Amino acid sequence: MAFLLRRIGFYVAAFLVAATFNFLLPRLMPGDPVDVMFAQAGTALPPESMEALRATFGFIDQPLPLQYLRYLASVFTWDLGLSVKFHPLTVNEVLLRALPWTLFLVLTASFLAFAVGTLAGIHAAWRRGGRFDAVGAPAAVMLQAVPPLVISLVALYVFAIALKWLPTGYAWAPLLDPGWTPEFVGSVAAHAVLPVLTLALTQLGGYVVTMRNSMINLLGEDYITLGTAKGLDDRRLRMAYAARNALLPAVTSFAMTLGAVFGGALVTEVVFNYPGLGYTLYQGITARDYPLIQGQLLLMTLAMLTANLAADLVCLAIDPRLRRA
Amino acid sequence: MRHVASTLLANPKAAFGAAIVALFLALALLAPVIAPAAPNQRVARPHEPPSAEHVMGSTRMGRDVLSQTLHGARTSLAVGLAAGALVTLIGVAVGVTSGYFGGRVDEALSLLTNIVLVIPNLPLMLVLAAFIGQAGPWVIAGIIGFTSWGWGARVVRAQTLSLRQRDFVRAAELLGEPALRVIGWELLPNLVSLVGLNFIGSVLYAVVTEATLEFLGLGDPLVVSWGTMLYHAQSTSALQVGAWWEMAAPCLTLILFGSGLSLVNFALDEIANPRLRTIRVKPDLLALATGRRPA
Repeated sequence: MAFLLRRIGFYVAAFLVAATFNFLLPRLMPGDPVDVMFAQAGTALPPESMEALRATFGFIDQPLPLQYLRYLASVFTWDLGLSVKFHPLTVNEVLLRALPWTLFLVLTASFLAFAVGTLAGIHAAWRRGGRFDAVGAPAAVMLQAVPPLVISLVALYVFAIALKWLPTGYAWAPLLDPGWTPEFVGSVAAHAVLPVLTLALTQLGGYVVTMRNSMINLLGEDYITLGTAKGLDDRRLRMAYAARNALLPAVTSFAMTLGAVFGGALVTEVVFNYPGLGYTLYQGITARDYPLIQGQLLLMTLAMLTANLAADLVCLAIDPRLRRA
Repeated sequence: MRHVASTLLANPKAAFGAAIVALFLALALLAPVIAPAAPNQRVARPHEPPSAEHVMGSTRMGRDVLSQTLHGARTSLAVGLAAGALVTLIGVAVGVTSGYFGGRVDEALSLLTNIVLVIPNLPLMLVLAAFIGQAGPWVIAGIIGFTSWGWGARVVRAQTLSLRQRDFVRAAELLGEPALRVIGWELLPNLVSLVGLNFIGSVLYAVVTEATLEFLGLGDPLVVSWGTMLYHAQSTSALQVGAWWEMAAPCLTLILFGSGLSLVNFALDEIANPRLRTIRVKPDLLALATGRRPA
């Protein structure tokens, strides 16, 4: 319990740092912070919306500490202000509209990469030095050096533009009405193939290498030797004895990287015009929609912290020493 | 140092990787001499495919892609080296201070490191770059440097903690050597391989991140670099109109340079730590070696 409380305390502190960063940044820029923050908003928003926006970000006629408290009050009640680019909508509404697409993209790609990468890692470690290992292990390492941006661009050109096998962008064909019709679901699936596969490919190498090394470290253990001596069949020894224990570090790293994949999905979404958080952020950046950009940072930080908290809970369930401490 | 260099070059992986990196550095340095045209000079018709005259084709604006790639290498590599150095410097300073002095100092610095690690890097850099607006290459190097040092600091701190318990460090302390001397003469020489790994990994990370930030339109569009080349190709829909060569050149250089660096790093890792030569690779080290951070 003490362990969990300490971790949660740390997460609150980390979130506070991100919020403070948002608060200070416009005030540290040269020039009038209100001008910096709402340069684009002045023409796009009616005066009363501007007033609300200023209040949300703490631009009130008070000393700095009170401005800071005002801003923190907005953040902790999750009032992120109005979007400038998507005018009548609030930042919350814009983010909420994009969130399901990103969750779908990130979760599908991560589970796919985790499953394929882990199985490949098990196989490579079990027959280490074999043909699969000799090609697969260096390939996995090289794959990690290829930037996600390059993987996405190459996939877009080869499969969507040159070969025309798959659509080039967006999440469904523009002529269809969203709904649970077979055509719409099929269109969503076809549009998801390239983004999901490229995002999975960017993570694949990491899982192969983690699992392979974790597994190889275990193969010298006595209980594996004992299992062999007992005459257990190869498959049972590999999966139930070696892989099951080797999986622990891979599971922790899975939870930890999940938060970071949200950032990686950003590039994929921009390349494929996929209407998730990353693409929304991109639109916000081109329109200098600062409330939207700042809200995005808070949301991504929150996603990262949640993933870490989940990893803590998993560790707590696995490792009894943490529960006693 | 000479010993390290000769061992490194005896390893075929490292020699190959080092050759790639050296080639890129040479091309970047010689760009004004060997490039067929000035990077922003209009020397061809728009979107000319690769030919004998323009080996990598031309852009929408009629600029020679090969010349842009060569000149772009100067910016991209300079930013990579500068940001990589900054990341390493901050990481080592924080990590060593934290690990050596321990106690309150360690608690405060570890808290700071963990916070830097847990706030997602790319969105943080995007917010910073967006407020700065059309950030030049050096500003981008600074942004990368100040937001990405967490992993280095964590790994260096762990290594310092273990070194601190060794007899030779204890002996130096008992002789009454000042802390700075113990750090400079006893600890740092033993951290060289870790710092080298961290630096190479950080350069790789910085080159890719700079390209990503500029691709997203946060850089200065007038600067010529691999990132702005991708940005211009994207904003003129080069792929959609079939001008793949405009994207291919910067993509290819990013892949080649990245592979070169990660090969060197992998070999360096094996040489510095014989135990890794079999197959053991710690996830933290691997993250450093490949420039890919889990956080």
